[in-house]
Amino acid sequence: MSLMSDDSSSVSRTQIAEAYLQALRLIDDRVTPFLGKATTRVLVQGAAKRLASTYSFLHFLTKMPYTEIVPSVIQEQLGGVTSTELAAGLDALLEECFAGLKELTGDLIAPPIHEEVIRQLEQLH
Amino acid sequence: MESIVHSEPQQVDGAYRPSNVQNMDRLAAIHQEMEYLNAIGKRFVAAIDRFQVHRALLAALQDLYHFTACSILLKGEPFDLSIIPCYPLSEAFLEAMMHSIVSAASVIDFPQLSVEELARTAYLDAPDELSTVLRSDEVGGSKIGSVLNIPLTVESRIIGMLSLFDERSEAFDTDHLKLTTMIADYAAVALENVRLREREMALWRQTEAERQRLELIIGSMSEGLLITDSRGMITLLNHSARHLMAHAQVELKQDMPLRTLAEASKVEWLSLLVAIVERASKGETVTNQELIAGERGETVPLTLSISAAPLYDANHPDSHPTGVVAVLNDITSSKQIEKLKDEFVSIVSHELRTPLTAIKGYTQHLMRRIERRLRKLRAQQIENPPSGPTTESPESTDLRNLSIVESQAEHLERLINDLLDLSRVQWGKLELHYTTFFLADVLIECIHSAQVGAENHTIELDIQTKDTKIVADVPRIGQVVGNVLDNAIKYSPHGGQVIVRLSEHEGQYLVSIIDQGIGISPEYLDHIFERFYRVRNKASRQYAGIGLGLYVTKAIVEQHGGSIWVASNAQVGSTFSFTLPKTPQM
Repeated sequence: MSLMSDDSSSVSRTQIAEAYLQALRLIDDRVTPFLGKATTRVLVQGAAKRLASTYSFLHFLTKMPYTEIVPSVIQEQLGGVTSTELAAGLDALLEECFAGLKELTGDLIAPPIHEEVIRQLEQLH
Repeated sequence: MESIVHSEPQQVDGAYRPSNVQNMDRLAAIHQEMEYLNAIGKRFVAAIDRFQVHRALLAALQDLYHFTACSILLKGEPFDLSIIPCYPLSEAFLEAMMHSIVSAASVIDFPQLSVEELARTAYLDAPDELSTVLRSDEVGGSKIGSVLNIPLTVESRIIGMLSLFDERSEAFDTDHLKLTTMIADYAAVALENVRLREREMALWRQTEAERQRLELIIGSMSEGLLITDSRGMITLLNHSARHLMAHAQVELKQDMPLRTLAEASKVEWLSLLVAIVERASKGETVTNQELIAGERGETVPLTLSISAAPLYDANHPDSHPTGVVAVLNDITSSKQIEKLKDEFVSIVSHELRTPLTAIKGYTQHLMRRIERRLRKLRAQQIENPPSGPTTESPESTDLRNLSIVESQAEHLERLINDLLDLSRVQWGKLELHYTTFFLADVLIECIHSAQVGAENHTIELDIQTKDTKIVADVPRIGQVVGNVLDNAIKYSPHGGQVIVRLSEHEGQYLVSIIDQGIGISPEYLDHIFERFYRVRNKASRQYAGIGLGLYVTKAIVEQHGGSIWVASNAQVGSTFSFTLPKTPQM
C-alpha cells in the first residue's frame, strides 16, 4: 500500500519525488542524532541497493547521497518512469529503510519516525 | 544511568527562559556527562589491543544496561567476530545471535555473510573478572528478547557493528541510544587504532625479518661489499670486503671517510678506489674496473675487479645519489689461470712452429722435384706421343696431394702466427718496424691477393685522397687489411661487392672495408674485438676460425696510434673502419 493516497496518478512525478525526498530528509533528521550520519546514509543507500533489481530507477540513490538530490537530478534520473511506478518504488524504499532501522534498533526509534513520515506524506498530498 | 543526551533540541525563546536553578541543574548534568565520557575515553585511549578495547567497551556498556552478551563484527578479509558473553551462553542463544548479526549486517551494506561462516570464525572473549559477578552454574536462556545493533564508524566509514543482546524484552531504551552510539564511536576509533598498530607491528616484523635476511646474505657473500653515504663515509662493509682489504694491508673502518683514508694511506690503488666511488656518487655506474691491489713485483699480484653504482632515495629517485654501493671481486685466481693459459699458448705455438717449418720446407722441396720430373715427362711425350689414350701420371697425383699438404701447412702457420701475435700482444711485445710507403700500394696488393680465392666477389678500391704516403709497419698493415678483407669475403657467402675505401679524416688515413654479407647483430658488436670471441649464432656457426684475427688487428692498429670500429646490421652487411696516423705518434 502506498504511503501517499491512492490517487497518486493525479500528481506529477516531480511532486511525488519531492514528497518522498522530504520524507527521506525527515528520516535523516530523526535518525542521525541517534545513529550518526554515516549509518543513516548507509541505511538509505543499502535499502535502494536491495530494491534496485525491482525498481531500477532507484539505482542512482546508491551512487549519490540523497541529501544532495535536487529537482534537476530527479528530472534527469527519473525520465521515462511513470508516476505510479515512481510512487511504488519510493514507497518500497521508505518501507525498506524502516525495516533496516528496525533490524538495527528494534522498536526503539523506528515506530514514532514511521508515523511522523506517514503524517508528513499525507499532509503534502 | 539516566539519559544525559536529549534527542530533541532545547527550545529557548522569549516565552521560555530557564531559571538559575534550572541552569545550575543543566550545567551539573553537562558536567556529569563530560566526566562520564572522559572516563570512558581514557579507557579506550589506554587500550593497546582488541581485548583491552573489549574490556573498555564492556565496562562502559554495563554502566548503561544489563545485557546477556555483546559482539563486535569487523569488516575485513576475512571478517572478524568477537562475542563477549556476560555469562555462559546456551548453544541456541549463540545461534540466534549469529542469525541476528547476519540479518543486521545486511542492512548496513556488509559483504555477504552466512551464519555458518560466522559460527566458524567467531571468537568468544569472556573476561575473567566477569566470573566474580556471575554464578558459575548460571547459563543463559535460548531466546533473544532484545537486540540493539550500532554500526561502528570511523570518519564516516563503517568499519563494523556492535551488537547487544539480552534475554529479556525491552532491555534497551531510547534514552541511552545516543550514548550507546557515542560509546560505539569510541570503540570504533580504538579498534581502528589497534588495527593500525597491529599492521604497523606486522610491517615492522616483516621489515626486521627482511633486514636480517639481507644482513645474512651480505655477510655470507664471497664478494666484498662496501657502501658509502653521499659524503663518502663508509656505512657498511661486509666480512669479505674487510678480508680483501686486510689482504691488501688496508684497514677500512665504518663511519670513516674513504677519501681521508686514501690520503693518509701509502697504498696507491686506494686513491683509484676513491675515484671509482666518487664517479658513482655523481650518478655514474662503473663496471668491472680492475685494480692491482698486490705488490707489483709478484708474478700475479692481488687483483680486484670493482663495480660501483649510485644509491638513490626510493622516495626521490630523481634526486642526487644518497650514497654508493661498491662490489669488490678478487679476480687474482682467474688472472693466474689466464697467465698460465697465455704461457701455454706461447710455448705450444713456438714448439709447433719448428716442425711446421720442416714440413713446409720438405713439402716445397718435394713439389719442386716432382715438377721437374713432370716437365721432363711432358717433354718426352711431345717427342714420342703415346699411341693409346693418355692417363694421369702418378707424379701429377703426387703434386696435387702435396699442394694440399702445403695449403694446410700454410693455414696452420697462419693460426700459429695468430697465437704468437696473441702472446706478443698479451706481453706487450708487439714490435713495429716503421718504413715509409704508400698505403694505396698495400691496399692494392691485399685486394689482388684476396681476389684470387674470391671468384664470386667483386672487390673495388675507392681512393678518395691524393696522398697515401705513410710511415708504418708494412707487413703489419698488410696483416690488418688482409684480416678484415678475409672476414668480409668469408662472411659474404653469396658473393657480392666489397669496397675498400681510403680517405682522410682529421689528419689521419681512414680505411673502410664495406661488405654485403651476413652482418653482425647489435648485441655482439661490443665483443667482436675481444680475444677468442666468436659470434655464436646460427648464421655464423658454419664459418671456421678461433676468434683471434680481429683481436690482433685491433692491437696492431692501436699500436700504430689509430683506432678501429665496426658498424653493422644483420643481413645487410658490415663496415669495418680503422684510422692510421700518417706518421708515428710518439
